[in-house]
Amino acid sequence: MPGQTNSLLNSYIPVLCMGLMALFLVVVFVGLSRILGPQRPTPQKLAPYECGVTPIGSARERFPIKFYLIAMLFIVFDIETVFLYPWAATFRHSGGMMLFNLFEMAVFVGILLVGYVYVWRRGAFEWDN
Amino acid sequence: MNPVAESAAVAAGANPLLPVHGAVPLSWYLILSAMLFMIGVVGVLVKRNPIVIFMSIELMLNAVNLSFIAFGRYLGNVGGQMFAIFVMAVAAAEVAVGLGILISIFRSRENINVDEINVMKG
Amino acid sequence: MLFLLFGGSALVTGITMVLFPNPVRSALFLVLNLFCVAVLYLLLNAYFLATVQVIVYAGAIMVLFLFVIMLLNLGTPDRSLDKLRWQQPAAVGIAVVLAALFGAVIYQSVPAGPPASAMMVEAPTLYAPRAEPNPMLTNQISDPNQLRAITPDTMGTVTGIGQSLYNPGEAWLFPFEATSILLLIAVIGSVVLAKRRLPGEDASAAGEREGGTG
Repeated sequence: MPGQTNSLLNSYIPVLCMGLMALFLVVVFVGLSRILGPQRPTPQKLAPYECGVTPIGSARERFPIKFYLIAMLFIVFDIETVFLYPWAATFRHSGGMMLFNLFEMAVFVGILLVGYVYVWRRGAFEWDN
Repeated sequence: MNPVAESAAVAAGANPLLPVHGAVPLSWYLILSAMLFMIGVVGVLVKRNPIVIFMSIELMLNAVNLSFIAFGRYLGNVGGQMFAIFVMAVAAAEVAVGLGILISIFRSRENINVDEINVMKG
Repeated sequence: MLFLLFGGSALVTGITMVLFPNPVRSALFLVLNLFCVAVLYLLLNAYFLATVQVIVYAGAIMVLFLFVIMLLNLGTPDRSLDKLRWQQPAAVGIAVVLAALFGAVIYQSVPAGPPASAMMVEAPTLYAPRAEPNPMLTNQISDPNQLRAITPDTMGTVTGIGQSLYNPGEAWLFPFEATSILLLIAVIGSVVLAKRRLPGEDASAAGEREGGTG
């Protein structure tokens, strides 16, 4: 059906184009450097710092646990934002339901605020303590 | 895929379940979802590493989400997408707590191979 | 065609995720898989969910997975430690049986109706032509009641989701508030688990692992 298409889905065509272009560039650059570049590896060349400090131990050191804490807090408040966003988009048009919607979201944010205060009091936000 | 093409085909008397131009029938989504779910099941059963088992569970949750959304789309009901949102929220909470438990097990036993976690065995 | 492309790559990345022994590679293939499923959500007109899938799953949850993999510093597992040799064939067998079951169910109940948009083709604002953009998209609506007209094509947008989720006439109010309690429990539970000091660990070892917190 020419001239009558789903405009919502069509607005994602640029995203598709960008993805294809990114894929194309990656394939071309990596492929060209594989094909054109000479490859004569020596142990010195393969070292992480070819002319620098000699590496001490493996790069796969164990991460400290605080990274986990931060990522976990990020996920939880990310989910909160996911719920907040449609609410914000429709709040202006909610008419007579405005007060109710405000209360609804206040309860939601309030419950999560309890968790926030708890995390703060436990000191999970402090990086080097 | 393209609802206009779908509706035009339906108006013309074509069977909406067949893959007419631009339209994907619901059963294809269900089959894809079932296959993704199966991959997740195999991953849970085969893998030794609990983190990869968690990832397989995420795969299964995604397969279920896909069929929720496909059903919601084809039945014209917003409930499918609502369910998918709540499944995502539950998955996030599950991952946060589950990985916390894994870290806890690792700190007390220095080993998280699932075959050796049998302290709860009677 | 897009369905075949992204559905096929979702399957391929899922299978490679299970096959790779290295957990980091599995995680990266799972990210690809989630992207493919997000594109499928787009094709099903679930625009907001596709975005959420990319942001929450591929962005946040997989980051947490990678952090934990690095935290535990797991390499490729040693397969010779496997005690249950029969487990893999058994798993494949169970999967085949389950696949047959799913296939039978789907085959027997091939969808009963055409897509909903086809049934509602007479709705006046359903397929707004390009010159007159869909009011759901532009937010330029004077009459608030007009917003209530959710069609299968617009119900996946942010406003469509918001109208259903926060509509007291629908059933999503209680799950929404229950989700907040669930998230609260997740926060408290994981902070307790992560910041606990085990009796077997001395202060220096715990300090090294936790960065001296707690």
